[in-house]
Amino acid sequence: METPQLPRAYAVRSERERLLEAMVKTAAAKGYEATTVDDVVEFAGVSRETFDEMFAGKEECFLEAYDAVFDVLVAHVTAAFEAADDESWPEQIAAGLGALVELLAMEADIARLAMVEVTAAGDDARERYRAMLTRFTPFLEKGRTYSGQGEALPADTARFAVGGATSMIFDEVRAGRGPELKRILPDLVFAVLMPYLGPEAAEDEMRRVTRES
Amino acid sequence: MGKQAVTKVQAGAEGTGNAEEAEALPNAPRLELVNSPKREKILEGMLEAVGAEGYEAASVRTVLARTGLYRQAFYDNFADKDACYLAALSMGIERLEAIALRAAASEESWRGKLRAGLGALLDRFDEEPDFGRGVVVEVHAAGPEALARRAEAMKKAADFIDLARLEAGEGEAPPQIAPEGIVAGIHAIVHSRLSTGATDGFRELLPEFMYFAVLPYFGTEAASAEMQAARA
Repeated sequence: METPQLPRAYAVRSERERLLEAMVKTAAAKGYEATTVDDVVEFAGVSRETFDEMFAGKEECFLEAYDAVFDVLVAHVTAAFEAADDESWPEQIAAGLGALVELLAMEADIARLAMVEVTAAGDDARERYRAMLTRFTPFLEKGRTYSGQGEALPADTARFAVGGATSMIFDEVRAGRGPELKRILPDLVFAVLMPYLGPEAAEDEMRRVTRES
Repeated sequence: MGKQAVTKVQAGAEGTGNAEEAEALPNAPRLELVNSPKREKILEGMLEAVGAEGYEAASVRTVLARTGLYRQAFYDNFADKDACYLAALSMGIERLEAIALRAAASEESWRGKLRAGLGALLDRFDEEPDFGRGVVVEVHAAGPEALARRAEAMKKAADFIDLARLEAGEGEAPPQIAPEGIVAGIHAIVHSRLSTGATDGFRELLPEFMYFAVLPYFGTEAASAEMQAARA
């Protein structure tokens, strides 16, 4: 009897996915520096030859894993932001941030890789990290219209807001408090809204989020 | 043996003995060397090398090439590149703190102090962008100890900013997280500009930084007025 063969493309994709997942897990557990290609292939149960066929090296594999992880994060946040479409902009931001901390708290490996290890993985990774953060900019920039201030707000307002929030998340994840990330949701809401709306409106939304959580 | 080493180092410090030889002795007291000009030169070279070449690419060799010193001078003072960078980072942070404090000293109000202190820091980044990159950007590549040192410096900056609470009116005080967010947000903008390899344009950021810092304590109108004033 003939054994049914899976299409070759399927096998290739799944080996690649296993390697990427193994990279996420290993880099999150051991740190990027200490992770070796051998760790990754062993974890994935894939041969070293296959790894070498697919990736030029550890860094290339890491960057691809990082892109995949960040795509998941952005999709999750976007979905939450858009689902709150008939709410006000501050509520949409709170919904997006809520989805972000929820995912990061559940997926400790993703949080570690996306927020912390990426900064240890060399210039390309850091460049990629900065580019990724700008994917959140469109959600934020709606705040210019909502606040009625438009171009009167400083040019770097989105960068300031994202910088404040990511630094708070970075500190929590690095200190091993990733699983309790939801605790800082009110602070994150304040940090992101404050530069657009000023302290009072930002604090109102912060209080609303605190009440609901 | 130990006593002899001490004598020699002191003689070297006075310029009458052979300092090179004394520094190489295993029992030579390190404290004597902390503020030596050679050590400081290496630390400066380290920050510039790391800032210009990136942490991974910078090496003891490239640091020495910048300073014109010999290998021995490096290894008399530091075990390796990592140890040297940590010391250099501390020196860099202390220098930035001193620059900000000196500029702020002649001002009376919180706002005046912040404007002068931040302005002096941004001037320094315009003058020495590689030094800025060495302190602000490459710290990420240098591991947990370097990050802890940075966190300490950012906490200090946040504590200074939060002095605004004393001048803000009753009921206007923002949540406790406000100063941390201000420092992190300003840091992110400077970091981003340094990362792109920019060699100027830092001073021009002062008006918006003043806006972001004044806003949570004094509200939108005060922040806008401050931004306009800083632009003038």
